Amino acid sequence: MKLLLPDILLVLLAALIMGYDLYRGKVNLTSTAPFHFAWLGLCAIFVVLLRLPYDQTVLYPGGYLVSGTSLLFKQVFVLSALFTVLLSGSYFTPGGNKRGTLRHRSEFLTIILLCTFGMFTVVSATDLLTLFIGIELSAIPLYILSGFYKEDALSLEASTKYMMMGAISTALMLFGMSFLYGAAGSVTFEALAKFCAANPDEPLLRLGVLFVLAAIGFKLTVFPFHMWAPDVYDGAPTPVTAFISVSSKAVAVAFLLALLYGPLAALHSQLQPVILILAAATMTVGNLGALKQERLRRFMAYSSIAQAGYIIMAFSGAADLARSSIIFYLFVYAASNYAIFFILAAIGRDGDEQRSGLQGLGKNNPVLAAVLMLTAFSLAGIPPLAGFMGKFFLFAAAAKQGYYAMVVFAALNSTVSLYYYLLLVKEAYIIEPETERKPLALDGVQFISLVLLTAAMLLAGILPSISGGILAVAG
Amino acid sequence: MNGSFLLTLIWAVPFLTALISLPVDRDDHRRIKKISLAGNLINLLLVIGLTFAFISAEAEHPAAAGAKLSQFHFTGKTVWLQMLNIEYNIGVDAISVLMMLLTAIVIFCGVLASWNVEKQAKEFFVLLNVLVAGVYGVFISLDLFTFFVFYEIAVLPMYLLIGLWGTGRKEYSAMKLTLMLVAGSAFIFAGILGLYFESGVNSFDIQKLAQATFPTEFQYWAFPIIFLGFGVLGAIFPFHTWSPDGHASAPTAVSMLHAGVLMKLGGYGCLRVGMYLLPEGANMWMSFFLVLVTINVLYGAFGAIKQTDLKYITAYSSVSHCGMVLFGFTALTFAGIKGGVLQMISHGLMTALFFCLIGMIYGRTHTRTVSEMGGLMKVMPFLSVAYVIVGLAGLGLPGLSGFVAEANVFVGAFANPAPLYRFCTVLAVLSIVVTAVYVLRAVNGLVNGPISDHYKTLTDASLIEKIPVTILLFCLFAMGILPGWIVELVNGAVHPIYNNLMR
Repeated sequence: MKLLLPDILLVLLAALIMGYDLYRGKVNLTSTAPFHFAWLGLCAIFVVLLRLPYDQTVLYPGGYLVSGTSLLFKQVFVLSALFTVLLSGSYFTPGGNKRGTLRHRSEFLTIILLCTFGMFTVVSATDLLTLFIGIELSAIPLYILSGFYKEDALSLEASTKYMMMGAISTALMLFGMSFLYGAAGSVTFEALAKFCAANPDEPLLRLGVLFVLAAIGFKLTVFPFHMWAPDVYDGAPTPVTAFISVSSKAVAVAFLLALLYGPLAALHSQLQPVILILAAATMTVGNLGALKQERLRRFMAYSSIAQAGYIIMAFSGAADLARSSIIFYLFVYAASNYAIFFILAAIGRDGDEQRSGLQGLGKNNPVLAAVLMLTAFSLAGIPPLAGFMGKFFLFAAAAKQGYYAMVVFAALNSTVSLYYYLLLVKEAYIIEPETERKPLALDGVQFISLVLLTAAMLLAGILPSISGGILAVAG
Repeated sequence: MNGSFLLTLIWAVPFLTALISLPVDRDDHRRIKKISLAGNLINLLLVIGLTFAFISAEAEHPAAAGAKLSQFHFTGKTVWLQMLNIEYNIGVDAISVLMMLLTAIVIFCGVLASWNVEKQAKEFFVLLNVLVAGVYGVFISLDLFTFFVFYEIAVLPMYLLIGLWGTGRKEYSAMKLTLMLVAGSAFIFAGILGLYFESGVNSFDIQKLAQATFPTEFQYWAFPIIFLGFGVLGAIFPFHTWSPDGHASAPTAVSMLHAGVLMKLGGYGCLRVGMYLLPEGANMWMSFFLVLVTINVLYGAFGAIKQTDLKYITAYSSVSHCGMVLFGFTALTFAGIKGGVLQMISHGLMTALFFCLIGMIYGRTHTRTVSEMGGLMKVMPFLSVAYVIVGLAGLGLPGLSGFVAEANVFVGAFANPAPLYRFCTVLAVLSIVVTAVYVLRAVNGLVNGPISDHYKTLTDASLIEKIPVTILLFCLFAMGILPGWIVELVNGAVHPIYNNLMR
């Protein structure tokens, strides 16, 4: 039971926040109590997660699996939810953001928590049905969240578009899974693995895998299923964008890891060329797309498409190295992305969340500018920051299989990405703003979050061995 | 003091200097400059101490004559990351020690030469010191991973240093320089991963990798990408285009450091990683690279003739002279490699002095166009004389450092009997004539002739400006007149690399 404690606590926390709102009635929509419940609760769950043993694998009745890998993914999800909650703080405060103030805080928090629970389900699944239910549980709340600016046309457009795309992806996934079921005669991973090992050339299997990959490609913004991302990222409220860019991607990665190195392991060698082509196309599309973006949320959409490309590349590697490098990278990527979104929240108070909003930051708020520079370098993969270590492991996973040409291609891609990340730095330091900017102050939550994220980026880059858990457990 | 601790200290001191200046008040420029100067003075003394310690260590344990493995002193290692056997593994041979000495001299002079930086001085010196820490780190690393990390730390701060404090088309130049160098690193990165996985020893340790035998087909593709990757920083043709723009736009100290030291990281990497670890690949590809660097040597020299801006002239001459470093390496003879190493040191001192003087002259005349100047000898005799001397060093006058290096390079290249090598050497030697043309023209336009009225009130160098110029002039003469001890040291380090290439 101990191993299920985080899952149970998470549901209870969601119920608590929803219940609090019902109990208080409509009287106090601006109350910050749910906010405090949420972040305190998430911190507690994270501490519980850290204290659980990584080396046990327990299968609970009904096919609910808890292993080292799933615990690590749960850590990513909980941290991501925690930072989303913290990030959302200024968006619910009147005057906290130029775009508008969000309302219905308890609903927002409850949905985030329930969505996170859906993600927990994905990493604990041992059969296709649970997997599917988990993916849906984590997807549907996001459609609601992206439309949380209820009077904003862009936000509603994002929500609609996301839901349409999500529906198509769901259909494809079920269609693919039905083929897998048809071939193997069972939905459990065990039976599927046995069947794959015995008949790796079965055409039904290939058809099924193709559809499932396409479906998960939507979530992971793999080319050519990435089109929705810029619009949704741009239209959704910034905390939701951050959550989609990290959690939703992480859950798709977990899904792929579970399938590719689990039941479909026997097909892995056949899939490697497909993986490499998708990876190359995805990173190129993301990097080229990001070059011209002025709106920072759109910019982050393309940037995270490119990052997904690097992650997919590592799926060509052998199980151990791929798993540990990908999970390590998810932590790194989460830290860097949230740092950027906190900076967006800070400049979004009085200005637009656009690249030109960063102008004069170097003089206005040198600390924030320094954090922006470190984050940009981390995303670009410059040592000694976490992004470099992360990319190094991803590239090593591909290099170990002998895909050196791919490594060169990806490294050159990352040079292209350095260009647009440097544009952020240039905007903050070199370009003088045309009009005098108001001094930019961070609120306490933003400050502490940025300190934590920056420390994480530096530590994971300089002393990756402190994350020994990730590298050893998964490996 | 423990040798490896001293090495760590040498890169840690500039880094700590940067950290210490962080809390200083932004407007207290003098204090920031003093901290930076003190830090780099300490480091200069440490590096001089290291050089003496190294000479005595070398005397105690001379390398065996036929050794194929480089002998490193003051080694030490700590595990950095268990998973991929990444170590913080340090040690130095003569080449690294001499390059560190060069770095220490150039950065010390560079700090003095940037005494007049007023704009955001704090950020400037912090970045400068971080960059220098990276440079030292590269020279002491014996682990390819550590090497790469330091290498990137040395390259990246350049973007802001040029973009913020530069002149002219600074944003364009900064972006071009950074992206081209990082694209080079992309190739190096793939090459390093290849070395790790193909060696079979599962290590990034240079010494272990040097003993491993790599498959021929691996060497065939890995050598050119590593050599070209580092070659970008060494301004190899056709990837030299960042250099003129970058050096011309950079502020004085950054030009000094970049042309003086950073470009040498390229040559150092080509030698230490490319040629030392992949000897077979080197033998296969060298005639191809020979042609490229011959173009470098000539193209740089002819490019310099066309220029009218002093900084562009010096930047193109750097392309030519750095080409000579690689030219020596590609010769694949003992004297050639030795000459290449000597040329790294000589060109480092020379080009640092060039950029230092140009910065000071520009600070007075506010123009760098040769045709707008003239007669400066009358108003600033010190700077003018120094400029004449460094110009003469540039065209290889005996008694100055350039002669020692270039003589070795050309003798070494001619010693390779292959007809292509003979032919390319003859072509490259011609560059000396071209060098004489552009150097003498620039000197002539600068110091002779009538002086225009608005320059008559200009003053000569102040005391604080005379110090770096004097130090660098002293080094140029010292290396030209007494090259013996340097050549001796370089011999010891080149032998194993050469033997390894010829096995």
